[in-house]
Amino acid sequence: MRFALAIGTFLILFIHGVVLYNQFSHKWERHQIAYFDQARAQAKSDAERAALEDRKPRIEQTVVADFGETRVARCVTCHIASDDPRFSGYQQPLKTHPYSVAMGDVQKDGRWERRHKFSEFGCTVCHDGQGRGLSPEFAHGNDEFWPDPLLGYATQPTWRKDLVPMLRGKEYLEANCAQCHPGSEFKGTPTVNRGMQLFYASNCYGCHRIEGMSDGTIGPDLSEVGRKFKIDYIYARIKDPKSVLATSIMPRFNMLNDEDIKALVIFLKSRKGRNFSETEMERYHLRATGGAELVQAHIKPVAINPAQMVKQGEQLINDRACTACHKLGAKDGAIAPDLSFEGLIREPQWLDAHFRNPRSTMPDSIMPSFRFTEDEFKAMTAYLSGLRTAPPAPTPEATYKALCLRCHGEKGDGRGPIAEHLDPSPRDFTKAAFMNSKTMTRLVGSVRKGVAGTSMPAWGKLLDEQQATNLLGYIQTAFVKEARTDLKPHTVPETNPVPSSPESIKRGQATFVENCAGCHGKRGDGKGPNSLDILPKPRNLRNAFFLETVEDKRLFDSILYGVQGTAMPSWTDYGFDNNTVGDLVNFIRNLNPKPKGGQNAGTI
Amino acid sequence: MAVNLKRSSGGGTAEVNVSRRRMLGWITGTGLVGSGVLSALSNFVFIKPRATYGQPQRFSIGKPDDFPAGTRITLEARRICVVREGSRLAAISTTCTHLGCIVGLSDTGFACPCHGSRFDTDGTVTGGPAPRALPWFKITLAPNGEIEVDKDIEVAPGSYLTL
Repeated sequence: MRFALAIGTFLILFIHGVVLYNQFSHKWERHQIAYFDQARAQAKSDAERAALEDRKPRIEQTVVADFGETRVARCVTCHIASDDPRFSGYQQPLKTHPYSVAMGDVQKDGRWERRHKFSEFGCTVCHDGQGRGLSPEFAHGNDEFWPDPLLGYATQPTWRKDLVPMLRGKEYLEANCAQCHPGSEFKGTPTVNRGMQLFYASNCYGCHRIEGMSDGTIGPDLSEVGRKFKIDYIYARIKDPKSVLATSIMPRFNMLNDEDIKALVIFLKSRKGRNFSETEMERYHLRATGGAELVQAHIKPVAINPAQMVKQGEQLINDRACTACHKLGAKDGAIAPDLSFEGLIREPQWLDAHFRNPRSTMPDSIMPSFRFTEDEFKAMTAYLSGLRTAPPAPTPEATYKALCLRCHGEKGDGRGPIAEHLDPSPRDFTKAAFMNSKTMTRLVGSVRKGVAGTSMPAWGKLLDEQQATNLLGYIQTAFVKEARTDLKPHTVPETNPVPSSPESIKRGQATFVENCAGCHGKRGDGKGPNSLDILPKPRNLRNAFFLETVEDKRLFDSILYGVQGTAMPSWTDYGFDNNTVGDLVNFIRNLNPKPKGGQNAGTI
Repeated sequence: MAVNLKRSSGGGTAEVNVSRRRMLGWITGTGLVGSGVLSALSNFVFIKPRATYGQPQRFSIGKPDDFPAGTRITLEARRICVVREGSRLAAISTTCTHLGCIVGLSDTGFACPCHGSRFDTDGTVTGGPAPRALPWFKITLAPNGEIEVDKDIEVAPGSYLTL
C-alpha cells in the first residue's frame, strides 16, 4: 500500500513536471531562437546586429481588418523569417516567403519589394488556415473541425484518401486571389478562369444559380459554396455526387477529367458570396442583373457550317454534357431518356421546341433550358433527327428491354432507372386493375402514338400494330399476370352535353375545389396536399398537350367511373351526374388554352 | 526490514539505519511536496497573457524613402510620430503620458488636445499635467529594407537609427 502510494506520488510529480514543461516551453520559441541565432551569424553590419538586440521570443501577430472579419494572423510567430530575404534557402518554418512576379512583386536595386505586404494583407486572406493557431496542427487547420484548412497544402484526416492527391497544389490559392481579383480576364487566376469556362461549358449553369452568373433552379444555389464547404466535399460532390449524398440527382460528368474537376473546385471555392474589391453599389448592380446575359457572354458559340451541320451537332451534344443525363450510344448519364434513336420517336420541330424550352413540349420536365445559338439548336436538332437506327429487338421481351425498361423498369413496376426524374411517372404495369380496365385499342394507341405532354414518345415508327400488340402481350404475361376479361362498357356521353359558358365553368370550379383539389391541387396542377401519398401521382390537369389528346368521353369515364389501379375514385358513388361532370370538364378545358405549336405527339 | 543507506552529513559519512516505512514516507512526501511546488509554479503561466489582442507591437512602417529628410510624420493608427533628420530616424510615441489621449503635432513639438499637456520636439514635457516625457521606441531597418518599430522596447530619447 505504502509502496503504491510512493510510486503514485512520484507519477504525479512526473506529470506535473511534464505539464510545467509544456506550459513554459513552446516550439515557436525554439524556431524564433534558431532564427535569431542564424540572423546574428549572417549579420554583416552593425545595423543588422543592432536590429536583433533585445529581441526575445514572443508571439508575433498581424491584425488585418480590411478583409471581411478582423483577421489575426500569428503565422509569423513560427514563420518569423517569411519576410527576411536572407532565408530563402532555409527549410520551413524558417523560409522566406517566395517572391513572385505573378503576384506583383517587383525587384528594385537587387531587392524584392512585395506587392501584397504581409502587414497589410496578413496570411489567412490568401492561404486560409487558423490564423490564431500556434501549433502547426491547429494553425494549418489539420484538425477536422476547422472550416478553412491551409488551401492546397493541408488535408484533414476525414478526407477521402484517394482524393487527397488532387486536393493539393498551389493552384488552390487562386480561389482566394479571386476574392479581390474577380474578373474572368484576370491573368493571375488561370485555374479559376478555366473553372468558370467549364461551369458554363459543362452546362452547370442550367441547374445551379450563382449570383450574377447563372440562374438555374434545380440544384442548390452555389453563390456562397466556397464559404460553406471544404474542397474535399466539393471535389467528391462533382466527381461522384451520390458518394456524398445518396439522394442526389446530380449527374456524373464523365467527360470531365481530374484536372477539369480540380479547376471547377477551385472556381467554386472562390464563390464566397462576397468580394473585397467591389463596392456596395457594384454588388447591388450584380444582384439586379440576371445571369442570362453573362451565360451568353461566357459561352463561345460554335460557328455552324450548313454542310457539316449533323457532325457539328454531334460535337455539340458531346461537348456540352448532354450525355451527363441522357443516353446516347455507349454513353449513359442514367437520368434522362435514351436519345440513341431519337429521330424515330420525335419530330424535328418537337426536338427544336424541346431544346429551346423543355417545358414548352413537356410541362413537367426537369430539363433546364440551356442556352445555344439559333444555329446550334438547328445543328443539334439535325443530328438527333438523323438518329434513325432502331435497336435490334427480335422478340417482344427484347423490345421491352431495349425500349421500355429505362423508364418502366425491369419488373414493369414503373420504377426504371430514370423513372424518378420523370413527371408524370411511367405507368406501373403490375397494377392489373388499371391495365385490364383499359381497352386494347387505347393501350396500343399509347404505345404507338405516345402520351402527349409526357416522356412517353410515339413508338409508331419502330413498332407496327402487330408488334405493339405482341409487346403488350408480353407485358400482360410478365408483369400484369392477370388475364384480361371482357370489359363492361360504361355509359358515358360521346361529347360533353353541357355547353361551355362562364356559369358552367364557375359551377365546375366550385365542384373542383370542393371535391378534386385535395389531390389535383387548387390550381389543378396535380400538386394537392394528398398528392404526396399517392402513386401514381394525380394527373396534372394543366398539361395542355396531354389534355388536348384526351377526349371528353375519356374524361367522363375517368371521373364518373374512376381510374382503376389508381387513387381516382368512381364519382358516381358521390352523386355526380353528367351535368356535374360536364361543368367540371368545361372548367378543366378552360384551364388549358390551346397549346401553341411545337407539340405533336402522335403523328405517324 | 531495514535498509542501510550511506548518508553524507557534515564532513564524514555515517551508516544510518532507515526503516522501509520511513523510506517510503520520504519518497511519498517528496513526491507530494514536489507536485505542490510545481503546480504552484504552473500558475505563473497565467500571470501574463501569451498574446495580446489588438495591433501588434512590432510592425513595419514602410521604406525610409517614405519619410523625407526634415519631416515629422504621425501615424495615427500606430500612435507614433516618425521623425527624420537628415539620415537619422526615430519613432516617438504620440500617446499622452497623462491619460492616454493622442497628442498632435504643434509648432513647438507636441500638444495634447485633452488637458493641454505640451511637449517639445523630443517629447520632453514643457507644460500641462503630463507626468513623463513621451517615450521613444526602438526603430530598426529590417532585412527586407523596411523600417520596423517595436513599441515593446523603449529607448533613451535622442537615440536615432542612422541609415
